[in-house]
Amino acid sequence: MSFLAWLESTPIAAAITTSVWMYATFETIHYIGLAMLVGSIMLVDLRLLGFARSLPLPPMLGLLPWVWVGFLINVVTGSLMFIYNATSFGMNKAFWLKMTLLALAGINALVFTVAVARTGERWLAAGQAPAAIKAVATLSLALWLGVMAAGRWMAYV
Amino acid sequence: MDFLAWLQGTALATAVAETIWAYPLLETLHALGMAMLLGSLGLTNLRVMGYKRELPLIGTQDLLPLAWLGFTINAASGIALFTSDAIYFFSSYTFRIKLVLIALAGVNAVILAHKVFREPATSAGAEAGALAKGLAAASLVFWVGAAVAGRLIAYTP
Repeated sequence: MSFLAWLESTPIAAAITTSVWMYATFETIHYIGLAMLVGSIMLVDLRLLGFARSLPLPPMLGLLPWVWVGFLINVVTGSLMFIYNATSFGMNKAFWLKMTLLALAGINALVFTVAVARTGERWLAAGQAPAAIKAVATLSLALWLGVMAAGRWMAYV
Repeated sequence: MDFLAWLQGTALATAVAETIWAYPLLETLHALGMAMLLGSLGLTNLRVMGYKRELPLIGTQDLLPLAWLGFTINAASGIALFTSDAIYFFSSYTFRIKLVLIALAGVNAVILAHKVFREPATSAGAEAGALAKGLAAASLVFWVGAAVAGRLIAYTP
């Protein structure tokens, strides 16, 4: 039996299949996690790009824990929904596109974290991000929009 | 009902209901608009409630254009989604609850704007009054409630 078929045969998958409210609840919590994750990373990225300049950059970067909380909520709810329908999601092209974009967004976030740690003291207090950081912020916005779009498309391919 | 039936028969409704890409595209835009709205209003309301005092209270007004953009995207995409199955959506109690929550959020926002931002404190660390904090908390409840209700329309009567 393949791993995906095994996942689908676990008690967790059976519980979600039998329950009338579990899947809807996970989907709803996944949506709230998305709002926390994309809502806060969008504010940070837009601020780096020069939007809402009267909000100082350092406390805006302090919003990043919201991204992590939203991400953790969505890893948990996303995994549960995946287990429920693993063989079908495993063959879903939009799902693999979403995972690829997620991985790219993760690498991009790592680049951002390293860049801020190395060069942040030169520009954070002044409130003006250098061009390279702006490019990273633009890429972040594009990748997260792609993650959302691919996630929505999973139901249609 | 006549109006709803007419709405459902318009070219827009047919296009949304019958093309493969229109529905997921509109849903993606609706999720993006929600993230814009909840991200910008979420931070504004939390700041009014006393979160992140390093951000000047008045500065959160810079986020308003993002909230309006999100609202406009969601009004437009929401109307297009509504037309595709107008009779069904109109008869859904969950959909009606969502509209009531949005209306309450709107009234709440007007009062909050007058209470907090008409004679705003400009310094970082400025503190909003107790009434404003209560209104901000109510705003969060209304908007998160609207997002949750929206997600649950597909699962409830």
